[in-house]
Amino acid sequence: MATKTFKGGAHPPERKHRTEALPIEYVGTVKQVVVPVNQHFGAPIQPLVKVGDQVKRGQKIADADGRMTVPVHAPIAGIVKKIEPRLQSNNLEGSAIVIEADGSGGVDFMPPLDGFSCGKDEALARIREAGIIGMGGAGFPAHVKLAPPPNKPITVVIANAAECEPYLTIDERVMAETPGDLVEGMAITMRILGVGRGVIGLEDNKAHLMDALEAAVKDYGRGAAIELQLLKTKYPQGGEKMLITAITGKEVPSGGLPMDVGCVVQNVGTFKAIAEAFREGKPLIDRGFTVSGGACKSPKNLVVPVGTLVSDLIPDTIQIDEDALRRVIYGGPMMGPSLPNWAVPVQKNTSGVLFLNASESKVYAEGPCLRCGRCMNACSCRLSPALLNVAIKADDFDQAEAIGLLDCIECGTCSFVCPSHIQLVQRFRVGKQLLRAKKQKEAARAGK
Amino acid sequence: MPANKLLLSSSPNAFTGADSRKIMLAVIIALLPTTVYGVVLYGLPALLVILTSVISAVLAEAGFRALTKQDSRVGDLSAVVTGLLVALIAPPSLPLWMAALGSIAAIIFAKEFFGGLGANPFNPALIGRAILLMSFPAAMTTWHAPFGALTDATAGATPLNIVKMGGTIADVGMGIAGSSDYGATLWTLFIGNRAGSIGEGSILLILVGFAFLLALRVVRLITPLAMVGTAFVLSWVLGMDPLFGILSGGLVFGAVFMATDYASSPITPLGKLIFGAGAGALTVVIRKFGGFPEGVTYGILIMNALAPFLDKLRVKKYGFVPPAKPVVAAKEGAK
Ligand code: SF4
Ligand code: SF4
Repeated sequence: MATKTFKGGAHPPERKHRTEALPIEYVGTVKQVVVPVNQHFGAPIQPLVKVGDQVKRGQKIADADGRMTVPVHAPIAGIVKKIEPRLQSNNLEGSAIVIEADGSGGVDFMPPLDGFSCGKDEALARIREAGIIGMGGAGFPAHVKLAPPPNKPITVVIANAAECEPYLTIDERVMAETPGDLVEGMAITMRILGVGRGVIGLEDNKAHLMDALEAAVKDYGRGAAIELQLLKTKYPQGGEKMLITAITGKEVPSGGLPMDVGCVVQNVGTFKAIAEAFREGKPLIDRGFTVSGGACKSPKNLVVPVGTLVSDLIPDTIQIDEDALRRVIYGGPMMGPSLPNWAVPVQKNTSGVLFLNASESKVYAEGPCLRCGRCMNACSCRLSPALLNVAIKADDFDQAEAIGLLDCIECGTCSFVCPSHIQLVQRFRVGKQLLRAKKQKEAARAGK
Repeated sequence: MPANKLLLSSSPNAFTGADSRKIMLAVIIALLPTTVYGVVLYGLPALLVILTSVISAVLAEAGFRALTKQDSRVGDLSAVVTGLLVALIAPPSLPLWMAALGSIAAIIFAKEFFGGLGANPFNPALIGRAILLMSFPAAMTTWHAPFGALTDATAGATPLNIVKMGGTIADVGMGIAGSSDYGATLWTLFIGNRAGSIGEGSILLILVGFAFLLALRVVRLITPLAMVGTAFVLSWVLGMDPLFGILSGGLVFGAVFMATDYASSPITPLGKLIFGAGAGALTVVIRKFGGFPEGVTYGILIMNALAPFLDKLRVKKYGFVPPAKPVVAAKEGAK
């Protein structure tokens, strides 16, 4: 099979060897969970429980009306101890429900649902009620992607199995151990959308999974037309836009969404969660992630209840070398935020927790821009990071917007390749917020 | 447990390991073959010009930055590159104090006044050369045949000079290859056994350095290719011998080591293409119609001035949507 890819990108060291062959370990019980109320991208939701309430595993504990919302469920049975602001994995504080295990073991899942005989609306409602969001990082509500407006026909459902961030191997392990769940989740999604074509896109460093996946597709029956597509191992191959371009040859229009080119993309974990929501009625209350890094003495792939504090997993499940530790990252090293401590919950979209040592967490002083053009050649969105940097430093947001600031996917490839260690993506993140704020102000003024 | 020694800077947390020092080091290594050959051709005087030029460039940069209370950037080696380039495009018989002056002018006027590394609008080494050429035209245009003493008595003309004065390529061949055979003449030029600047002569060794830089992806093929290609075609159109034009002067050296200067050339691919083509065309026009036999310096400097505008020729961004067509706009206006 020809390996496909996109233009640009870079090759950060993969560092997956320590965990890619390790079977997933399941941590069934934890003494407490800290469940952030808002883990999705969209409108805020509110707690449905109060301090002192007893909750069952799987019981809905926060929700709201509105299309861009998804509920949150209790990941363990126990008593609600507190509802208070807590540090979340995005390095911001947000309201969180603290549940202490009481050993009651109560479970409150939904009844199983056959995703192929139920109505379409019923299926969409099930995905929403299961609290499923995009598990690759952004946390976009899954049911919203599966209900595109009628003028945007979907032609292909894509499973994002690229896992292009260094260290992370949880998607790889899910595919190795339960390929059937991925296929089932895709088949249900394709059925909801009425789409005849599914593609699993994986980087060629995972080519060894091909046989297992092919067999899973065959075994699944139900006539699901799911193909495998090998992609070049290159960062950011798992960026939604890059994946779509590699697989379909089309480009998501600037300011548009994957559905504009007939695509729906979900992460491997999301498809697995969809499969479980139908088969077992299980909401998204467990999260698989990779623990690794040079200061981690027990690299592994773990599944824990959502809301588990990583600090509670130490030292029984995870051992770290605190002397060597220099940086804690939730997510991957290219895009994940660094956190001030690790008493931070694993969330629905946490794909990894990395304990990095000094050699993995170098910090450099910013040098002068050499105008070497490396950032431009590496930018998968074909932007000119060096010129964007100049515009933002000069506070010229009109120019920054004109040359594509809002098209930046914040992949960080530019900063990765810059020989002068210029804070490119870092400045673009802030610049985007400033630009959006400026536009809002202008819109408000124009509206008056 | 929250360890306050934890680093909190924003992602990414991985880097390629490339830095400006390694890039400059690569350029210096790429220049070494032609530098060594220059010393072989012209002996100790050439070596002294090179050393003087490099040392004064480094001292000028360090001194200026110390005086203006800026961090020293000696470690990034870019001053070494500038000094080396100034020497390699100078005649081997250049008085050492002039070499020092050219380097200092290049560093101070062309580079540090504009903010130093990465911020120079014009190629520093070419500015250094242009200043020397205007101030000391005689010293800057005194040439010697290789492997001889560099005295007034042995002064000779460069191949381009000979042709500018009305000589033929066969005349050049008699001088350098001892034969009027066209092929032998071009081969000798390619090897670089002829009168000229210290490091511009051997096309072969310049290309070796170029290949090295290409392999390390320090420079891209596009600018030099556009420059030499355009010069070839335009010389031919203007009735000059295109191969001779490419092999005889400083065109290839300029295309490989000057037109690819990051700071003073455009950053976008289309910008680079036009920049190279423009520099190539200007070189030929100056050679043909100008007062000087050589036009590379001014050809590149003129294009340097255009580089900021050429930077506007960006590649279409991912997912580019053309602005709405006027028809649609008119309809909306009518509503
Ligand atoms: S990679 Fe860095 S030094 Fe090179 S052009 Fe981009 S911002 Fe400038
Ligand atoms: S400019 Fe944005 S999209 Fe381009 S490489 Fe940098 S972070 Fe990625």
